[in-house]
Order: sequence, then structure tokens, then C-alpha cells
Amino acid sequence: MAAGGGGSCDPLAPAGVPCAFSPERHAYFALASTDGHLRVWETANNRLHQEYVPSAHLSGTCTCLAWAPPRLQAKESHQRKKRKSEAIGTGDQIDLLALGTAVGSILLYSTVKGELHSKLVGGGHDNRVNCIQWHQDSGCLYSCSDDKHIVEWNTRACKVKCKWKGDNSSVTSLCISPDGKMLLSAGRTIKLWVLETKEIYRHFTGHATPVSSLMFTTIRPPNESQPFDGITGLYFLSGAVHDRLLNVWQVRSENKEKNAVISFTLTDEPVYIDLTLSENKEEPVKLAVVCRDGQVHLFEHVLNGHCKKPLTSNCTIQIATPGKGKKSTPKPIPILAAGFCSDKMSLLLVYGNWFQPTMERVALNSREPRMCLVRDISNCWAPKVETAITKVRTPVMNSEAKVLVPGIPGHHAAIKPPLPSTEEVESKRKLGGNEVSIEERLGAMDIDTKRGKDDLLQTSSFPVLLTQGLESNDFEMLNKVLQTRNLNLIKKTVLRIPLHAVIPLLQELTKRLQGHPNSAVLMVQWLKCVLTVHASYLSTLPDLVHQLGTLYQLMESRVKTFQKLSHLHGKLILLVTQVSASEKTKGMTSLGQKAKLVYEEESSEEESDDEIADKDSDDNWDEDEEEKESTKDEDTEEENEEDNEAEENGGDRDVASEKELNGDSDLDPENESEEE
Amino acid sequence: MVEEESVRVVHCGGSELNFRRAVFSADSKYIFCVSGDFVKVYSTTTEECVHILQGHRDLVTGIQLNPSNYLQLYSCSLDGTIKLWDYLDGILIKTFLVGHKLHALFTVAHAEDSVFVTINKEEPDIFQLVLVKLPKFPSQEIEAKELSFVLDYINQSPKCIAFGREGEYVAAVRDFYLSVYFFKKKTTSRYTLSSSKNKKHAKNSFTCVACHPKEDCIASGHMDGKIRLWRNFDDDKKYTYTCLHWHHDLVMDLAFSVTGASLLSGGRECVLVEWRDAAEKNKEFLPRLGASVEHISVSPAGDLFCTSHSDNKIMVIHRNLDTSAVIQGLVKDRSILTGLMIDPKTKALVLNGKPGHLQFYSLQSDKQLYNLDIVQQEYINDSDLIQIELTKAAFGCFGNWLATVEQREEKETELELQMKLWKYNKKTQGFVLNTKISMPHDDHITALCFCNAERSETPTLVTASKDGHFKVWILTDDSDIYKNAVGWTCDFVGSYHKYQATGCCFSEDGSLLAVSFEEIVTIWDSETWELKCTFCQRAGKIRHLCFGRLTCSKYLLGDTENGILCCWNLLSCALEWSAKLNVRVMEPDPHSENVAAVSWSSGGSDLFVFKPSEPRPLYIQKNITREEVQWGVFVPRDVPDSFTSEAYQWLNRSQFYFLTKSQSLLTFSTKSAEEKLTPTSKQLLAEESLPTTPFYFILGKHRQQEDKKLNEALESELVQLPLTENIPAINELLHTPAHVLPSASFLCSLFVNSLLLSEETRSAEEIPDDVSMEEKESDDSDEENNVTEHVQDTQSAALEEDIVYQLSKSEEKELRKFRKVDYSWIAAL
Repeated sequence: MAAGGGGSCDPLAPAGVPCAFSPERHAYFALASTDGHLRVWETANNRLHQEYVPSAHLSGTCTCLAWAPPRLQAKESHQRKKRKSEAIGTGDQIDLLALGTAVGSILLYSTVKGELHSKLVGGGHDNRVNCIQWHQDSGCLYSCSDDKHIVEWNTRACKVKCKWKGDNSSVTSLCISPDGKMLLSAGRTIKLWVLETKEIYRHFTGHATPVSSLMFTTIRPPNESQPFDGITGLYFLSGAVHDRLLNVWQVRSENKEKNAVISFTLTDEPVYIDLTLSENKEEPVKLAVVCRDGQVHLFEHVLNGHCKKPLTSNCTIQIATPGKGKKSTPKPIPILAAGFCSDKMSLLLVYGNWFQPTMERVALNSREPRMCLVRDISNCWAPKVETAITKVRTPVMNSEAKVLVPGIPGHHAAIKPPLPSTEEVESKRKLGGNEVSIEERLGAMDIDTKRGKDDLLQTSSFPVLLTQGLESNDFEMLNKVLQTRNLNLIKKTVLRIPLHAVIPLLQELTKRLQGHPNSAVLMVQWLKCVLTVHASYLSTLPDLVHQLGTLYQLMESRVKTFQKLSHLHGKLILLVTQVSASEKTKGMTSLGQKAKLVYEEESSEEESDDEIADKDSDDNWDEDEEEKESTKDEDTEEENEEDNEAEENGGDRDVASEKELNGDSDLDPENESEEE
Repeated sequence: MVEEESVRVVHCGGSELNFRRAVFSADSKYIFCVSGDFVKVYSTTTEECVHILQGHRDLVTGIQLNPSNYLQLYSCSLDGTIKLWDYLDGILIKTFLVGHKLHALFTVAHAEDSVFVTINKEEPDIFQLVLVKLPKFPSQEIEAKELSFVLDYINQSPKCIAFGREGEYVAAVRDFYLSVYFFKKKTTSRYTLSSSKNKKHAKNSFTCVACHPKEDCIASGHMDGKIRLWRNFDDDKKYTYTCLHWHHDLVMDLAFSVTGASLLSGGRECVLVEWRDAAEKNKEFLPRLGASVEHISVSPAGDLFCTSHSDNKIMVIHRNLDTSAVIQGLVKDRSILTGLMIDPKTKALVLNGKPGHLQFYSLQSDKQLYNLDIVQQEYINDSDLIQIELTKAAFGCFGNWLATVEQREEKETELELQMKLWKYNKKTQGFVLNTKISMPHDDHITALCFCNAERSETPTLVTASKDGHFKVWILTDDSDIYKNAVGWTCDFVGSYHKYQATGCCFSEDGSLLAVSFEEIVTIWDSETWELKCTFCQRAGKIRHLCFGRLTCSKYLLGDTENGILCCWNLLSCALEWSAKLNVRVMEPDPHSENVAAVSWSSGGSDLFVFKPSEPRPLYIQKNITREEVQWGVFVPRDVPDSFTSEAYQWLNRSQFYFLTKSQSLLTFSTKSAEEKLTPTSKQLLAEESLPTTPFYFILGKHRQQEDKKLNEALESELVQLPLTENIPAINELLHTPAHVLPSASFLCSLFVNSLLLSEETRSAEEIPDDVSMEEKESDDSDEENNVTEHVQDTQSAALEEDIVYQLSKSEEKELRKFRKVDYSWIAAL
């Protein structure tokens, strides 16, 4: 199978290192590199299975190799009476690998035992061995060499069975016919021998350069009406050194036509060829040809007679490195070998450098004319001794991975606003945009007035700073305010911030709560204050559920441990503080309320707008109503209804959102309890 | 087509390798281990299985090399036979029928033609060590009934019996006793650990025993981790013992090196400890072996050790404590929680492997591909530690995504859960962590499934949990200004009346999601996550759920704890049929409509293969195994098979593998399938013919001729060679203290010369001969072993009479020739 060839400086020697997949399932890949080492890789996990250095690896480097046909392990299966189960044989075991060397000797290496099995020397070749082929049935081995001879070996006795002159020049390639009775050999011309008598059966004009590969492509003649004598009508292909054409020949009954039937064009000299045999007439032959330039060309063709024009490939596969950054350009990675998997739909590619190749199964897509795979093989250079022994692969865990902990958005389903139709969403957004701008303006005015009036610089400047920070999203300004530890100051600031800044503040707090626990401790104070002070305002907001959903989830996940206790505790605290706060505010009355009156008017208009929008979709409106009702209930009557849980059982979105709202009143106290 | 044969259940791979101590061949090239009913022969260099010795009809319980022929192997089995094998060719030579159940096998070098075995005679727990005489008859099957009793009331495990120096005594331990039986005196002395009743020493019962190969010394391992070295035990009063203590948990196995210079011990710590000179100070360690050491054995040549581990592997370790090879079977350390899966990329079987790892096992080659380290924490093996366990895993989107769930449960309330989503990176050909979710649910995750429909745009994952919710996770775009990224977020949380979610399953086209909540099955629309309908049969909790495929996609199958298999029609929302079947495993075939169900009753497990649309099953096989089947999976075939018979058509496109409670992996096979692989090998058994090396030319030929001459000489007259003891130079060398000896280079020529034969009759003119001898010496330095061996050979062969050794003319010529041979190649090496 392997295209022969090796590390010789002969210009007419084929390119590429001798390599081959093990037969049947391609479980192993053997590669004899130019440094004289034979390495066998496991294709399934890309692991170096064994390495062997022939004793004379420097003088007689390996020029070609071939796997012996699979042998079965002794399979005397028996039926067990007791357990009715038995061992399945380990299937075909690939055992022997034949290596031809530059000095003419042939080594048989046992991959199971990991040692040299035997060496075929006596009476064999006295020059470079070019190609080795195992006979599929008889256990014979055929080899050809630069000494112009073909030798038939008896591998059982390790002796020469027959030796004959195959050509006037060196014989470079061999192939045995599917029925095992004929042998193709090629130097410059291609000859078909009858194995029994060693007589020439047919001649084919070959290539201009030495033929590097020969292969039968069909096992049955195209027209099945004629009696089949085992050879007539079969197609085979040949590739040659420095030749960018693969020729397909047909063995015909009349000995006239000597030209190739079809030819395939390549971009460079073929290095490794694999094909799937077609079992019937209609099924095309699939051909994967690895060229010296590192590309794989795939051909799919139904072989039936002549085709004058050379055929081009259906698909070309290339592999390149990912060019990191802008400076480095992607570099091509050479493909060393390619073999069809047994399902014929995927290709096993071997690429990279020959001392650490990478193996990969690639599914074929016949439609794409070009496939360029981007592969990063830079880490393949690192020694992998450790993994070779322990077989442990460590998947990459880097900091880029997303981490979701309870409370972080994405950990739990986001609470979406009830879905209105898309147009409405847009209109709402626009409205919202306007609203904000007005708010901003109003807020600015508010601040201005405050600045002028207030005497207490510290307490007054904090709310101003905070609102400004929230509006401009100024990190430093916010830090300055939010990192205070003075509880009193926090309370006062929260009390004095304009209402429109409450939601942004809460969102900012949520963001900070998700951060480092140290900073979260500070934020909890703020959160508690905001929620106790502005609970009534928050409960009036229609889309509160949506806006504070993440906050709610965050808190719920953080206070999981003593859930019921904290619920109770929170509600009690809320009661007490609300009462005391209301008493206090009676005395203080309007501090900056005048501006708010104006604002409320406008907002009431907006609300009506909202309502109009909501009315279009009935359920939305209903929900809002419900929410409002429930929140009002809570605020006014301050009851700890246990019916929350009863309601939850509905399992609907509706109730879920309601639950969020109910929970919202729990939020602050829970928080407190956590703190205490 | 070949004639159809019945479908049989066959073991496929992953058989146990760590049942008994592995045994090395004499040249350390092979290692033998028992594996179920077989003995496997592995190569120590390539880790490949060279032969499987099959012939026993029950569990093989012991193997030993034949002491009189190192190319043969004895094995004993519970079927009451001892078999003798030629392991190089994998041939059964002889079978000895003993008649009793044999539990262990021992051989002793001096006792030829007899082996020791452990049998139990009457009561179930009383074991005896007996000597079995193996009669020499040419026939294949020989009855060996001649048993002679040696020791009574011993432990069943072969680790608790050891034979002492040259087989003079045998030591056996059980509970708190050490019994030593002396063959010459025919007496037994028994030593009881004095403080065995004492609370402080309650854990010092014996676990294993080993005998020093050269001295009278017995090493015993104990439950509390101590190793005791017993000496002077031939005297009941004067006996002494010393303690070596490093292990903190029980000593699993002990072994002396061949020379006895070091003692190896191993235990649950996953560390091989080498005690040099039996001293507490001189310890060497080989740590991080991955799993607890169960057995230790030493090669007869002394260059290799091997340890068998609880995760079904054998490690071959060099004398200098370097691991050289690992023979790994299917890891069977702990319970399989993930079930069986098929990796779409490698087509390998995926299941729990080493602790915290997923193992990828190639079914075709019966080999472990690799372990994927999911937890990425160093595993500390301790009985009290609660480990992070990998409980669930699933592949999605054609192998591009892998979801894993790991959990650690210290107490009922302290559950730690973590879900990891790994993306297969094509560029680097490996998995990369994409999203890590801690506590994805508040309680155990019961099921995990990807939506594997081809048309679905966003990868979707569903997790069901005991906390009553199921969560839908989708892949979303997480890009920001710094990076382009994707990550998983929760898209929907569903629940149903606070019932525990016990299972989930996507339909083939991904449009429907079925989630079982205890007794109720809910069907959700995967577009809007709306609850479509519910099915409730009130027949116990739902165990498995699966949608029909292809033409049967309108059916939903579920089986319940009360042993009812239900099939619902999704179009009519009604029960189509139900059957009374206690289903343990239900698996749909990904390539056909077929569903395989394995039921369990006290009699055994039965297999039913059926189509949801058809009332009658396609195939029934009763009693596929006596054990309970835990997991099953359909493995798609690479190349479809073609069974014409209707009953086997379900095996055409996929193969069904299943795992029993005792963790043996089984499958169905037909004879015809196996026969397709025609045995071409028999002719291919090529003879080993290794080429001759230059050393062979120098030494081998010489030796052959010498041997020939010696034989001739033996016939006519016997040769006397000086014994090494009689040579003064050697005596001097051996008995002078090292510090007063001159340098080795000075002694070398003296030493070698002294080994050469005296040249009494040789006259001075034979100088060339001397030269050639010198040359020979220079080569000898490399092949010294050979020379000494040769000398010994001749010694043993040569007896009384003097003969003058002289090189023949032809030999001289030969040697001269070699002098002229160009040895520059040596420099090149």
C-alpha cells in the first residue's frame, strides 16, 4: 500500500517516507523515518505504540514497508454451560511488518512482541529493495529491488522460493491481483506476470520515470456478462516519480491497446495512495492521493472505459496552522498519509512531522471542492512520555471559561418581561428613552436646587455625587460614595436620592454584589437601606419583576441556608422599620418634594401611556394589575401570607413572577439577617 | 450468505486482569495473568496480548511457570483441572484432572512432577494446602488423584501462602496466626501475635506473607500497615521479628526481589515501597500509581517488577523503579454512574474510568484509548475520604460538546455539585472547558441530555434534578469588546407540582422534550417551553424514558418501577400499549426503530428487542446472563452486517453491548460473523530466524564447535577444569577486603587469565594463539556473561580427567581471520 521510497538522494527515488496503515481497521500506522527508526502509532488515540531501531539502521535504512495480512488468534470458542458467555476473540491481530532496506535485506518485525521476528537475507537482493507485497492467502512475500530481480519468499521458512529477472532496469513497484494469481511489476514499463509459471502475461507502456505505486482498483470486471477469468477487465492504476498524473489501465483480453484508459491529474508527485474498492458496477471508486506538496486529492469515478481528458480531483484537503496574531501567516502542515475508514465516508489523515505525526478522522463531504482544516500542532512538539504511560489526557481548563455560580445571571433562567409583540417593545423602548432624558433633566434641576439650598455639605453632597455617578456611570465617583461604612450616612443618602435614581442604584448594587464578597458586604448595607426606604416606590413600578429579577435570584441563592427563619426575621424587621420610618417622616415632611410633584404629574401621563400599550395585550395588563395588587397588599397590610407557597404550585410563569414580587418584600430583611 | 447461527452472548474485552498475581516468563519478555476463564500472555515491551490460553471451564485461580521447563506454564482452575501450556505457541500440552475445586497453585523448584494446590474439602471456609503428584503419562488427559496433605486451616488467598528458601518450608498466615511447616522435619510451628486480643492491636491480623529466597526470613503484612520480618522461626522459643512501618493502611502484597536484597510492598496508598536490606531507613518509593496496589510480582530474571492494581491494570516496572509499560483493561474500580455512551468522534465506549476520569475504550481493539481527567484533582486513596465522583456525562452535537456532572456528598445536606461543559477544539484536537456551573441544581442531578437533532441551531442541554426542577441550558453569544466567546446560560426552568424530576429525553427531531416527574411524564414544546401534555399511569416511578425513532417517532416509551412498560401515542395522547416487564435497561437503536429492553427477574436477565409500533417483539433471548444488567448501549457498526434472518436483523446496523452488575461487558455475536474473518494466519506463523551477529561469529561458532568437541571428548575421556574455588587469584580477589584491593583494571587481566585454561603442553612458539586469546578477551568484555556461562557449562560437563584444551588449526585460522576483520564499525556504534 505504501508508496515506497526513502531517504536516498537518488533523484529518481520516490518522495516521502515509507509508511503504511495496518490492514482492516487502520488501527496502527507504521512509519520508517529517515533516521532509521521504525515507529508504530496507534491511530485511535495518537499514541506512540512502539519504536524499533534495526541494528544496521544507518547503513541499511528502511526503504519500504508492508503489513502482513491480519491473522486470527486461535479461536476455539466454546459454550459454557454455567454462565453461557464466552470470550470474543480479540479480532484480527496484526502481527508482522516487513521492512525492506537499502542494502537488500528484508526484516520481519513482530509488532506484538516488539522485536525482530526474522531476517530474510540468503539468496535475496543485493541492492536496495523498492517494494514489498504480501500475498493475501499463501503467506508468501514478494519483493523487488534495484538489482532488477523479483523475489518470492517463503516466510515460514524464511527462504527464497523463486527469484527471477523482472526488468532490464530496476523494478520499482509490485502489486498482486485480487485473486492472487497474477503479479504486476513495474520499472519503466508495467508487466503482468502469471505467478505460477512466472511468465509475462501482458505488457503496458509505463511512465517516463520509475513507477512508484501500483494498485488494483477493481475486483470485478465492469461487464459481468462475460465469464471472468480473474484478471481480464480489471483496472489498475499507476503513479510515477515526478509525474503529476495517475494512470488507470485496463487488462484486456486482446493484447493490443497499450495506453492508459483514464488519468487523474495531481498537483504534485503522489506519495501515498489509498482507495476503496467498488463492489458493484455503479459504485464509484474512491481514491485518496497524498501528494508531495502535502495535499490530499480525492477522486470519485465510476470506471467504465475510456476517458480522454485527464480528470481533476473532486475534493482537495489541506491543513494549515492558525496564524496567530496579524504578523504570522498560516503555514501549511503537510499530510503524510491518508486512508479510508471502513465506512468509506471518512478519511484517516496523518499530518505533521514524521516523528510526531497527528492522526485524525475527517468526515468527507463530497460537495465541497476544497477543505482547509486549521490545526494547531504546536503543542505536539512537547514530549509526551508521561501520557504515553498513563494514558491520561487532561482537557484544557483555562481562565477564559465562563463560570456560573448561583445568583449570577445565566445560572437560573432570566426573568423575562411578559412577551409583548415586537412593535410594542420598540415603542416602549422609545418611550423609555424619552422618559430617561426627561428624568435626567429633572434630576439635574433637582440637584441644582439642592446644591443651592442645603447647608449640610456632607450629607447633601453624597446624594448628588451618587446620582451624578449613576448617570455618568463614573466608577470613581460611585466608589467614593458606595464605599462608605457609615450607616447613618448611608441612610441619609438613600433618603435623599431622587426617586428616578433608585432603580439604577439597585442595578449598580446588584452588579457589585456579584463581585468580590468583601465589597458585597458593603453593598448589602446600601441595599438594605434602599429597599427599606424606597419599598413603596418600588412596588409602584410596573416592570419591577423584570428589572430586579437578577437581584432577587442573587439574594435567594445567597440566603438559602436558613430560608424560613430569614423570611420571618425579614418581615418582622420590615414591619418595625416601616412603622418607625413613617413616624419619622411625618416630622420631617417635604424636603425636596416640590420637584417631585411636577415629576409625578408627568409620570402619571406616562403611566397612562403605558396602560394604553398594555391594554393591547390583555394578559400583560392583567398581570400588572395583579402584581400591583399583591404588592399593595403587602405594603399596607404587612401580612406574611403563607399562601405564597400555595400559589407557587401553579407552576406557571404568571405565578412565578408573582412569587418574585412577593419575595421582593422579603429581600431586604433576608439581607439583614444574613448580615447579622 | 453463511448459514445463520444462533445469537450468543459473548464476553467482549475488559476482562479482569488483577485477580491474581501476574507471572513473568523466565526471560521477562512475557507476562501472564489470569483473566476469567483464560490465561493471557502479554508482551512486556509492547503491552500487546500475544496469546490467550483458553481451555478452562471455570475461573482460573492460579498460574505458575513449570520449574523444570521454563517454557511451560501450569494453570489451575475452579473446574478442578491443572493444565500445562506451551505459552510461546499458545498450545495446551496436558490436562491433569484433580477433582476438587482448586483455589491456588504453587510450584517449588526441587519438587519436580508435583505441585501444591489449595482445596476446600468439606466445610465452605476451611481450606487445605495439598501436594498433588502429576503423573507422567504421554496421554493428553491424566487423572491426578494422588493428594498428600500438607497444611490445614489456611487462607483461601494465594497471597497468604509462601514457600521458603529452596522449598524447605512453607509459611501460611490466617487471622492472627503464622504457621510454618518444615518439609524435612514434617513439623508445623505456629506463631500467634501475642496481643491480638488487645484493643490497641486489634487490627494487626495478617494479610499476606512472603519468604526470603536466600535466607530463613519470612515477611508478613498486616492490617495495620506494619510489615513484620520473622527470623529464627525454626525454634519455637527463640524466634524474633522486626517491624517495618510505613503503610498507614493494610499491606496488600509483599514480594522479595530475586536476590532477596530488597522487599517490595504495596497497599491502598498507591505507592510501591522498596525496602532495601530490610531496613526501615532504606526506603525507595514509586508513588502515584493511580490505584491501590493489589499484587506485586518479580520477574525471575530480576530486572522487572509488576504491580496489579485495583483499576484493572498491570504496571511493568523496571528494577530502578521506572514504569516501563502499563497493561490496562477496562477500568472497574468503582460503580459505573455515567452509564455507557459512545463518543461520536472516536466511536469509543465512554464510561467512568479512574476516579474523576472518563475512560475512552475502543471496542474494536479491546484497548483503553485514554482517560480524560475531568475533575483534575490529585486522587488520594483513603477509605475515609469522600471523593468527588463523576456522576453524569453526555455527548452532544456530534461529539463537539461534552457535559459532565461531578458531585461530592459529605453528608446528606452538604451536597457539592458542579457541571462542566467542554467544547471539542478542532484545532488542538482536544476538549476545552467552556462553562463551569457550580450548583446547577439544589439536589442530585438525575438525568442529563443534549438535543441531538440535526436541525437545531443552538445547542441545547437539559438537566433534571431531584429538587423538582429541570433546567434548559442553551449556548449563547458571550462576546464583549475583549473577546469573542460563547457560553452556556440557563434558558428555562420547569417544574411540575414539586415532584422530583427523574428523567428527560428529547425526541429525535428535537421538537419535544419529555421529562418524567416521578409517576408522571410531561411533554414540553422545545420552542416555547410550554407544557403540552402529561401522561400518568400510576404504576410507580418512571425509570427510563425514550422516544421512538424514524417511523415510530410518534411513540413515547417509559418503564416504571412496578415493572410496567408503557407506550404512549403522542398524536392521540393515549396509552398505546403496556406490558408487564421489569425493565432494567431500555436503549433505542440510533440507526433503526428498534428498542432493546433488558428485564430482570430472579432467574436472570432477558432481552427483548421490539419496535414501538408493533405488538410483538422482534427478538427475545431469555437468560442472557444470570446477573442483573445495569447499563446497555447500541454501538453503530462501521460496516452494516447483513443477516437475512428476521430475528437477527436488529443486529445489522448496530451491536448491543451491556454491562452487568459485576461489571463484565457482554455483547451478542453470531458465529457467522466471526467466521467471516477467515483464519489466514495459520500459514503465516513464520518461523523465527534471526540473523547472525558479529558476536555470534566470534563466540557462537566457537562455542558450537567447542560443544561438539566436548561431546566427543565426553565420549572418549572426561575433562577436568579447575574449579573457581581452587584458583588462587579468584580466592584472593574474593576474600581480600575491598579497600586493600588494587584497581579493577589491574585485576581484570589477572582475573580473566586465571579463568583461562592452563597451557602446560603448549610451547612458546604458539604465540599467535595468545594474541588471538587477547583479542577474544577484548570482545569478552562485552559478552562476559557468555563466557562465564560457557565456563560453567564446561565445568558441569567436564568431570574427572584432565584434558588439555587446545585450539584446533581451523579455529586458529578462524580467529586470525577475525583479527583481520575491520572492527571500525564498533567505533561507529
